[in-house]
Amino acid sequence: MIFVILSAILIVTGLVFFVGSAVGLLRFPDFYSRMHAAGKGDTLSSLLVLLGLAVYQLKDFHGFSEDWPILLVIIKILAISVFILITSPTSTHALMDAGWEDGIKPTIQKGSANHLEEDTKDI
Amino acid sequence: MLTKVIAFIAVAITGSLLLYGVADFPSFGDPNSPANAGVEGGAPSISQYFITESYKDTKVPNLVTSVLADYRGYDTMFETVVVFAGGMAIFAILRVLRSKEEPPKPQSRAETFVHGDHNRIIVGTTCKLVIPVIQLFALYVIAHGHHSPGGGFQGGVLIGASFILLALAADLKTALSRLNEPNYIRLACIGILIYAGFGVLCQILGGNFLDYGVLQPVLFTDGPEMARSHSMLGVEIGVALTVSTIMFAIYANLASRGTLNEGL
Amino acid sequence: MIFSFDIIILIFLVIAAVISLSVKDLLSASMIFGIYGFLICLLWAEMGAVDVAFTEAAVGAGVSAVLLIATVFNTKRRSSD
Repeated sequence: MIFVILSAILIVTGLVFFVGSAVGLLRFPDFYSRMHAAGKGDTLSSLLVLLGLAVYQLKDFHGFSEDWPILLVIIKILAISVFILITSPTSTHALMDAGWEDGIKPTIQKGSANHLEEDTKDI
Repeated sequence: MLTKVIAFIAVAITGSLLLYGVADFPSFGDPNSPANAGVEGGAPSISQYFITESYKDTKVPNLVTSVLADYRGYDTMFETVVVFAGGMAIFAILRVLRSKEEPPKPQSRAETFVHGDHNRIIVGTTCKLVIPVIQLFALYVIAHGHHSPGGGFQGGVLIGASFILLALAADLKTALSRLNEPNYIRLACIGILIYAGFGVLCQILGGNFLDYGVLQPVLFTDGPEMARSHSMLGVEIGVALTVSTIMFAIYANLASRGTLNEGL
Repeated sequence: MIFSFDIIILIFLVIAAVISLSVKDLLSASMIFGIYGFLICLLWAEMGAVDVAFTEAAVGAGVSAVLLIATVFNTKRRSSD
């Protein structure tokens, strides 16, 4: 029972982060902040949902001798989450870099400090 | 605009005819439909035969693999040939064999970057971590197709995708130095020859084409069932060789307009 | 097989197909075609055809999207109709 509750908490937290990243993707002003919302939110929420699924598998686990297939399922889910942990930030980074090479300028609010010129002078 | 309207009318008529046909189908997973239960007084249903007898025939728990590689082996062999022919067609259309002196391309921004090419470092390190895992998983998919979803086509596409990932992350030259053009064409041909070779070997030993049961004395197995199981693995390896190399060949020719000297 | 889930995926599938046909930018069209591949893979996995879903995930969503994008980069990017 405790595992079901724990997995429900994890999955619901993951879905909350998913909603956050979707709202950020729709509401942020420019490419870079949108990718920021999508990349960060997606990675964390996928990890949380997968961890929730892994914890949910534990509810039928009674002993190692007869329930070892459950452990195999958990190891597979954890392998998927490690894969996502590695690849999702990299793909976000590659997209950001492609956008920068393509010459997309970040939106800067009028009146706020703008360090873009001096930061990118030597590039 | 007119062509679009005509095309829409044609699609709408075809779609409504298809939907009209769907209305007569038995419902999804209906055990009493003719395909599942057979016709009364007629031949027994083929699905029932596969479900009850395929494990006894081939000792392969995954019926999809046993149907694909054994009962319908002839069909799968020519599916592989179709993939091979597609790759060869793209080779014939796109490949530029006469080497012209091309003007040097202007260097892209990543190569002229002052702070070092950090993009290359991040993406390259991730690819170094990920590509071996993809290839290992592809081998698992090929070899484990008897027990779980997977098989030659899926594993072959995964291996091809790992080479495409290498070509995307570094450049096409790096990927081609791992698997160059003569070698991938050779491997694609060898894949089909492995598949057809299993068929011809069966004929030499007195059976029908692709009737793996007669391979028992060659493969030193316990019975014809295990011979079928092992030859399915061999056939899947042939399919995987062809599909993986052809996928990479299609990508390499498409991305470099057939010159094989630059990538995306 | 869950009927309402099927209906939701099918609606998304029709939307993805219509958008990928009607959008002018061919790069966006091929990306949306990749989304279409993932949706149809989800539909097949949910109907129990795991082998077909696996093939579609590898071929339709993975490699064919890359091949389409490689083609778009070597031709012109705007659709003419």
